[in-house]
Amino acid sequence: MTLSAITQQSVGAGIFSSAFLLSILIWLPVIVAVGIAIMPNPRGRYDTLIKQIAFFANLVTMFILFIAYNQFENFLPTMQYEEKIAWLPAIGVTYHLGVDGPGIAMLMLSGLVGIASVLASIGIRERVRTYFALLLLAQASVNGAIVARDMFVLILFWGASIVPIALLILGWGGPRRVGAAWRLVGYWGLGTAALAVGVLALYAVTGGRTFDMDTLLGTAQSPRIQIGVSIAMIVAGATRLPLFPLHGWLRDALAEAPVGVAVVVSGAASRLGAFLLLRVVIGAEPAAAHLLSPVLAALAALTVGYAALAAIRSVDIRHAGAYLAMVPGGITLLGLAAISPLGIAGSVLSLFTGGLAAALIAGVCATVAERAQTRSLLLLSGLAPRMPNIAWIFLLAAFALLGVPVFASFASEVMTFFGAFKTQPIGAFAVAIGLAITAVALAALLGRVLFGSPNSDAPGVSDAALGETWYLGILAGALLWIGLFPGGPKIPGTDTPLFDPGFVSQIAAGVSDITSNYTLPASAAPAAQ
Amino acid sequence: MRYAVLVPEALVVALAVAVLLAGRFGWMPRTSRAYLPQVTALVVLVAFGIELWAGASVTTYFGGALIQDRFALFAKAAALLTAAIALAATDWAAEDSLHIGIAMPLLSAFGVMVAASAGDMLGLWAGLELAAAAAVVMVSLRRPDLALRLLLVGGVATGLILFGLAFLYATTGNSDLSAIRDVLANRAPTLALALPMLLLAAGLAVRAGIAPFHVAGLPAGVGASPLGAGLVVGLTAVAAGTVAIKLVTALIPIPAVYMLYADVLAAVAMVGGGAAALAVRSPRPRLAYLAVGQLGWVTAGLATHYRSGIAASLFLLGAFAIAATCGPALLGRAEGGEPAIAGLGAVRPVRAAGIGLAMLSLAGAPPLAGFFGELTVAAALAQSGNFVLLGLGLLGLVMSIAAVIGTLRVLYIQSPLEEARRGAAAALPAVTGLSTAGAVAFCVVIAAYGVFGNPILGLADQGAEALGLR
Repeated sequence: MTLSAITQQSVGAGIFSSAFLLSILIWLPVIVAVGIAIMPNPRGRYDTLIKQIAFFANLVTMFILFIAYNQFENFLPTMQYEEKIAWLPAIGVTYHLGVDGPGIAMLMLSGLVGIASVLASIGIRERVRTYFALLLLAQASVNGAIVARDMFVLILFWGASIVPIALLILGWGGPRRVGAAWRLVGYWGLGTAALAVGVLALYAVTGGRTFDMDTLLGTAQSPRIQIGVSIAMIVAGATRLPLFPLHGWLRDALAEAPVGVAVVVSGAASRLGAFLLLRVVIGAEPAAAHLLSPVLAALAALTVGYAALAAIRSVDIRHAGAYLAMVPGGITLLGLAAISPLGIAGSVLSLFTGGLAAALIAGVCATVAERAQTRSLLLLSGLAPRMPNIAWIFLLAAFALLGVPVFASFASEVMTFFGAFKTQPIGAFAVAIGLAITAVALAALLGRVLFGSPNSDAPGVSDAALGETWYLGILAGALLWIGLFPGGPKIPGTDTPLFDPGFVSQIAAGVSDITSNYTLPASAAPAAQ
Repeated sequence: MRYAVLVPEALVVALAVAVLLAGRFGWMPRTSRAYLPQVTALVVLVAFGIELWAGASVTTYFGGALIQDRFALFAKAAALLTAAIALAATDWAAEDSLHIGIAMPLLSAFGVMVAASAGDMLGLWAGLELAAAAAVVMVSLRRPDLALRLLLVGGVATGLILFGLAFLYATTGNSDLSAIRDVLANRAPTLALALPMLLLAAGLAVRAGIAPFHVAGLPAGVGASPLGAGLVVGLTAVAAGTVAIKLVTALIPIPAVYMLYADVLAAVAMVGGGAAALAVRSPRPRLAYLAVGQLGWVTAGLATHYRSGIAASLFLLGAFAIAATCGPALLGRAEGGEPAIAGLGAVRPVRAAGIGLAMLSLAGAPPLAGFFGELTVAAALAQSGNFVLLGLGLLGLVMSIAAVIGTLRVLYIQSPLEEARRGAAAALPAVTGLSTAGAVAFCVVIAAYGVFGNPILGLADQGAEALGLR
């Protein structure tokens, strides 16, 4: 299976254009967040209005994003919707934004997760104004990190997400929220410091004139520099994704965070780690990528294996959900470690599908815990008849995580494994074993929670509310949609896309540019044989 | 028009003296006193405007004793803007004396202005002492014991600095800064030069309250009134930083004689400040330790001995001046520790935003003034290959941000104290039109400093160039 670019434009393409389209995606949530924060709300009178504002802000963002996605020229290997304004010329900082295929995949993921997180937060009752302002700031910072084409801007947005997310956990989290928040700050802070060191090392060796990615990542470096920078980037990425052994924040952060925040963290914010590795290590440091690819494969295998075993041993459903949310990150990393066009293309798709699957499993586990009024797996049993909606979505989440056909994660896992078995057979085999253990963990979890014998000692149970069903449905629906229509639906009898030009085609733009370092030129191939 | 450049200094000093005399002799009717902070802040803003308009001309006065260049323009403008915002944002109900409380920040800002435009060692020393003396006066109003301690420690700092300057004069035969640079251009680093540098570095570190020399000055600042604390933690340290930058540029031909001291001081301050901020919970000491951490970054910029590093230090010093001076003023009394500011986001939203932004900026959190300044210094450190110091700085930065998150939690997530349980130590800041406007102005400046930082960093770069760096 390969990704092929198409030149067909879908209906509605070209109806909207803005020179600041990407800026709107970043700054609209920020402006709305500031507006919400300063809006008078005596005794919580406007709590519902604030939730509606946050929801519609996300909906408008998603609408703009969908236009951007629709008008994205998938046959161009270059960055699109670029914005470039000199910011601090004295040290070479430019406000440079742009997206390519992987970037548009991440933006779509962030948009969907944003809507889902607001819907998952409908039940927030305390300090509603502050909660939604912080949530929007967190989303804006994730969007900013995705579209940044200047390393200074990347550090800015990467670091900016720490404070709002930590405050959201501290303010609205579960009983162990304080430890969870500090751990998140510690690990993400370490990652941000590693990112800064890597970026500044690149800045120094390229002459200290600019932070622009085109220059920093486009300049050929000695293998020694490449390895040093790549190790810093791997530390930064591993703390975010997270990868074993830098996953220490994950369990408590996802288990203690309010559901909406757990969705944002597991779905979008954590995928930035893999996105960074794709951009810098795989995309720009080929010598280091070749040398470190076995290390990446080993990290992928350890992550998937550890997550699966930890999920089996968990006695808390939210802990189990948190560990299971680590699995897609390992698969994405395996695709990157493959350093083959197919593996890398698979990992680009896996960025999106893995983010959705991780958000779905973390979200559904949190929702079960809320609806069943307990997190203990010793008490949760036989819930399927009493919460049918959640039971269905739980099943879909498990299938999506495992990459069952008809889900988009199937395509990404097939591409990843096919790519990786060629170049990293041991790592791919180990990840496959980890995935099998994940299946066991999921089967045990589903069997006990949904289909076990009902526990008479357990507290009362209710099914998902409308908002919860919708947020989980959006995440599962997106995975199904792309699994069923990877090329987008067509106008009957024609090859013209109906309204979706095809996710798999759109995100392929720019991937060939990244994979060109790992493809033998056509003329050199026979000689090599 | 030649003397128009000196108008801001004249305005500030005249205003300070007039306010002091009016307070001493009771010239001002009680009803008019309420408008004094407004009028003063407005006059300082006018002085700031004149500085920006007239200060662009490069000239010298008094036979080279005062130099108006881009460096002076930057530092003087920063001091004036800091003083204006601090005067506006202060909760005057929490201050011990209206007249002295207004006059001392003006004199402290004047001290920074004198140091910034000093052409010789005498001017540097005079400016520094003036800024520090004003802080001692402010502390003495509330805690004479702590003021005495601050005075004694300041005396030690003065002694060290004077010894250092005297040694430097003896070694180079000059007190003029540009002449010293010319003399040192062909000299090799010697022990005779390294020794005065050690004294100077120690003296300036004590004056600025850089870790580990903060043990004396910091408690004094914490015990003072809000604006007094701002002067100790902020403007006095800015004066020391200004002097340090001017001295470093004079010694730039032989960086080996001071680089080690700057490296060690920067490392200790960045890591120590961050760790101490994490260890304490009370907001004012936390803010003071965050300021120590950021001063470490300023010192790290000096250790690079490049134009980009010095410019970055100056750029960061501007951000530091505003956040470190106005932060305690915004914090108000807050002597009751964390509970005093619990839930302030709900009851005093603008002031709480100001406190949060001040702390975040001092910690170096994106996208605020301190972040841009620290990343600019970090870029200079990377260019000079000093990755050890860079790593230590980033470690301190992470600890500082973690500390600030703790305070933000108290500000925005905890519930406010019940009115009945609030004592004088936890009294809510009074809300006035001026204090709200001051807090809003502070928030705008801190948020916009980096976002619209191009002209500011450009001016800082020209300031470094004006000091003879290429």
